[in-house]
Amino acid sequence: MSLDDVILLTGRTIDQGVALEGGKTTMENVRAAAICAFDSDDFKKLDTLVGTPVKIITEYGEVIVHSTISEEGPHPGIIFIPMGPWANQVVNPDSQSCGTPTFKGMKAKVEVVKSGKVLNALDLINTLKEA
Amino acid sequence: MAIKKIKTLYDVICPFCGTLCDDVEVDIAENKVVEVRNACQIGTKKFFSSNPSEHRYETPMIRKKGKLEPASWEEAIDKAADILTKAKRPLLYGFSSTECEAQSKGVELAEMLGGILDNTASVCHGPSLLAKQDVGQPGSTLGEFKNRADLVIFWGSNPVHAHPRHLGRYSEFVRGYFRKDGRNDRTIVVVDPRNTHTAQIADLYIQVKPNEDYELLNAIRALLRGVELDVEEVSGVPMDQIKELVNTLKTCNFGVIFFGMGLTQSLSHHRNIDAAICLTRELNDHTKFLITPMRGHYNVAGANQVFSWNTGYAYSIDFSKGYPRYNPGEFSAVEVLIKNQIDASLIVASDPASNFPAASARNLFKYPLIVIDPHETPTSANADIVLPAAIAGIEAEGTAYRMDNVPLRLRKVKDAPGESISDKEILEKLIEKVKEKRGE
Repeated sequence: MSLDDVILLTGRTIDQGVALEGGKTTMENVRAAAICAFDSDDFKKLDTLVGTPVKIITEYGEVIVHSTISEEGPHPGIIFIPMGPWANQVVNPDSQSCGTPTFKGMKAKVEVVKSGKVLNALDLINTLKEA
Repeated sequence: MAIKKIKTLYDVICPFCGTLCDDVEVDIAENKVVEVRNACQIGTKKFFSSNPSEHRYETPMIRKKGKLEPASWEEAIDKAADILTKAKRPLLYGFSSTECEAQSKGVELAEMLGGILDNTASVCHGPSLLAKQDVGQPGSTLGEFKNRADLVIFWGSNPVHAHPRHLGRYSEFVRGYFRKDGRNDRTIVVVDPRNTHTAQIADLYIQVKPNEDYELLNAIRALLRGVELDVEEVSGVPMDQIKELVNTLKTCNFGVIFFGMGLTQSLSHHRNIDAAICLTRELNDHTKFLITPMRGHYNVAGANQVFSWNTGYAYSIDFSKGYPRYNPGEFSAVEVLIKNQIDASLIVASDPASNFPAASARNLFKYPLIVIDPHETPTSANADIVLPAAIAGIEAEGTAYRMDNVPLRLRKVKDAPGESISDKEILEKLIEKVKEKRGE
């Protein structure tokens, strides 16, 4: 029910692009960007159903998103969250002194949290304000 | 039912990504977009989202008792100018999804205020600009690639998702002057850790390990020079496959590397681009080879141009000493926010709350926040003042630079809803008010 040693990548998807143009505070954006895509063999190890919330944990933070199986696999050992506020809770902010954060290639852990709540963009950002 | 009078506009430029498709057709009826032809899924959505909706701001908003309330332009500009003049180190950020004329006004305002000025290149192709400043960049306009390239490499770039019409207009399927059979006349190579949709339609897919592009680029450079590498694989790629790639690179007539965030946002950042550019330069000993970044925002290239000709620097500029200083590792928006070195911010056409790592985004909300945007975003929803903008390229004219630095004129296809005005006019109002408050 967990993966302990995966690499997290983030990036553009066309669904995420369409959703952000349609409204960043909409549920469409949650469905497009609050997801984590797994390699199909890795997903079997989680022993759960597609769509079940998963908690992604890195050295830099954690976030709960919906799980899905990658259409761009196989990529064993790699998980993918579309760019956006959910991905940005767990990316490496360090830029190695070049100004650009390291949005790709973080070590991550994954836990299935069946009762986990996936926040919408506004609620997610509010947790940052309150912290 | 009365028949609506539909006006069709042809050859409209799409203001979404750096491809700046210039063949879009838009039908307008009663000042609303009713049909979009030729644009990709994302571009089409952008045109439709200009129609009035619950996410669209139509009047200036000011936060009163914790809630954003409609206000007059006069009051909103006055309060915004008040915040900016009182700030010692304001951050002016965004500017990549607006026209060059507004970007120029942003530079003027940042200089007046002694603030930090940055555009979204600092979270995407900033490292590419650093590398270009280090080692140059052999590039060209997209038309050359379309007409001549017989080898196209996408490295850390997934245009099927990020630049959906790039393949059809310039790089893969399109017929060119010397590439009359389109896709059949080109070899497509994709280097990526994921078997992306772009990789799935390539002739050769190289699955590189995340964060190890630098090693692979330099292994290719070594093999190109005739050095034998005594290893079985580099960056997860078997040596046989690397040798096959090197042979493909050397034997093409005209090659191009299109690279994306896979190189700039991974470890080594600008060093990856340095290596890719040096490889391109060295390939010209064997054949013709060029390299071009896949720019994301439709006018981020323009922001780099406008900032450069006004200040000498493309992004991450500090005016606190009264003259422009450049050091992305110190002055990029993400860095100054992480180090909590600002005391107010003006965000133009961007959403850093969503797009910055949490460690920097959280400090944005500690200080007064002014947002110029047409739509509600996680940034604008937490702003103290929201100034409603007409969408450049749909509701306002202006100039934008394509990813190959070709300037194109954006069209106005409809009027902006409510009291929205262009980014340029809003920034001009702010500049006037700041001058007035300082007695200039």
